[in-house]
Amino acid sequence: MRMRHLSIAVALVLAASGCGSGTAQPPGAPAISVVTPYLANAATKDVVDKFTAIGERRGWQVTVTDTAGDFSMLNDKIQSAASRRPSAIVLAMGDPTQLTLGLKAAGDNKVPVFAIDAAQADGIAANVTSDNADLGRKSAAALLEAIGGSGNVAMFGHDPHPGVRARAAAARAEFDKAGVTVVTVKHVPVPGPVEGARKLTTDLLAVTPDLKGIWAAWDEPALGATQAIRQAGRMGIAVVGVDGQDFALAEIQKAGPFYATVKQDWDAVALKVADLITDQLAGKAPTQREYALPGTTIARTT
Amino acid sequence: MTAGAGVRPALRRLSGAPLGLLALIALFTILRPTVFPDPGNLSNLLEHIAVLTIVACAQTVVMAVADFDLSVGATASFSGVIAAQLLVAGWPTVAAIAAAMAAGVVIGVVNGWLVAYLKLSAFVATLASMTALAGGSLLLTDGSTIFGLPDDFLLLGQSRPLGIPTVVLIAITVGAVTWFLLSRTAQGRRWHAVGGNAEAATYAGIDVGRTRLLAFVVSGAGAALAGLLLSSRLASAHPTAGDPLMLTSIAAVFIGLTAAQAARPSVAGTILGVVVLGVLDNGLNLLDVNPYVQQILTGLIIVVSVGLSRRRGERP
Repeated sequence: MRMRHLSIAVALVLAASGCGSGTAQPPGAPAISVVTPYLANAATKDVVDKFTAIGERRGWQVTVTDTAGDFSMLNDKIQSAASRRPSAIVLAMGDPTQLTLGLKAAGDNKVPVFAIDAAQADGIAANVTSDNADLGRKSAAALLEAIGGSGNVAMFGHDPHPGVRARAAAARAEFDKAGVTVVTVKHVPVPGPVEGARKLTTDLLAVTPDLKGIWAAWDEPALGATQAIRQAGRMGIAVVGVDGQDFALAEIQKAGPFYATVKQDWDAVALKVADLITDQLAGKAPTQREYALPGTTIARTT
Repeated sequence: MTAGAGVRPALRRLSGAPLGLLALIALFTILRPTVFPDPGNLSNLLEHIAVLTIVACAQTVVMAVADFDLSVGATASFSGVIAAQLLVAGWPTVAAIAAAMAAGVVIGVVNGWLVAYLKLSAFVATLASMTALAGGSLLLTDGSTIFGLPDDFLLLGQSRPLGIPTVVLIAITVGAVTWFLLSRTAQGRRWHAVGGNAEAATYAGIDVGRTRLLAFVVSGAGAALAGLLLSSRLASAHPTAGDPLMLTSIAAVFIGLTAAQAARPSVAGTILGVVVLGVLDNGLNLLDVNPYVQQILTGLIIVVSVGLSRRRGERP
């Protein structure tokens, strides 16, 4: 009986390994380990998929590991990946300040770590990101355009994400410069950002009759805010998001409260990381610690 | 008998969740007199807590048999994803809803079978199904948000017949049905009997395994319904949309326990717990309290209310 259970277990493991995210490449192909805590986030998934596709075209063995928001496990996964000595590790959107253990293990094993939309830190060879300050400035400019340059606005952010924090700081600076009053800064819960933002907006509308706009640090809370505004019938309130997700573009096309989003150029980010790894494989280290790429505003008027 | 002697027992009965709720309502009414008691705000509040009410009622049934279901949030996410994928694929709305509900029932059967017949602890069984379902939702959606759901499906979560949100009407119906099941039927008595003392229930001729399995089926179905409503309300399905419902539903049942003299899960107590959490969230938002402080306060209130209930239970 025990042997039967063992065989079932082995069969399951073999079946699961057949369904893994690793790509089939010839033996000796450069191995690239992608690790992320945020694969459930649409933008993270998008850029990781793009990077994986580029890597496969270049003949790399790419594996993707997600820890569903667990940074402790992320450290473990980086340590474990480093012990296998891949050609490079790619950290997709995790805060590197929480990953000192994993990054140290990578350094000890001489495995370079490249980051996508994370941050500069010891142990990160280079971070390639959208210019979050640029995203913040452009999204704030879009909201200012939507509200006519004056009035009260609210900001929806999520400080634990360094990129989101950076774009919120840049947006805030734009609002302050324009003389717009930021009546409140709300923390959007993750998971559940759409429903969370919807509830926050409903409560906010009750206490802020003169609200003219909501700036959301990414598209999902912007969608929740849009739905609450539409339900409350306060269609004069404008919403902007960041990311350029498909659902955001669909909302913008409806000409409702969702006024604009700033699309991050994930194709360019994925390509840049792949190019840096290609250079690294040829023995050429990155010349910069960070590469910041601009975003593109997609507004009702564009 | 003095007036004071009559008031004290009444106050004692009011301790825990009911007293806490009254205190919160009084506090927010004083601090936000024009906004908090406004009918529009109260209507929003009811709409906010509707989905949680459904999940918490389902969780109450499982907790009545002295188990709990960690997979309710993941089941809600999964059912929303199933329905959305089928709708986007062109299935009729009724068929997509039926398929999502069936998925919830199947998940409940699996959980119940693992707990009741395979004798896994509810913690391990539902933790495992929660993890598997989270992976399943991500796999089905490719990690993305599904949108573009048909208008007739959106009616489920967004329509307001006679000005009352449909989600609120559904939550009231679910609450009433669950209350009736738990309090007025032989099955309800069996659930409570198994939760009170499974061994004694066995000697009394109750099929404990079947009773526990049925509780998980109710939980799975309730969570699936909540997921459908959530997707309809948000006009989209996200693979983690229902996840926050798990902890808050368990918290609501625990807070509700403080309202019951018998210290066993009841639908009335659970709904009180949901209202306490909803009022707290709504009031602190209206006061623009720092969201991190809100989380601390919510945790403190759960500890204080359950602690008060314990003390009251120990009193001779």
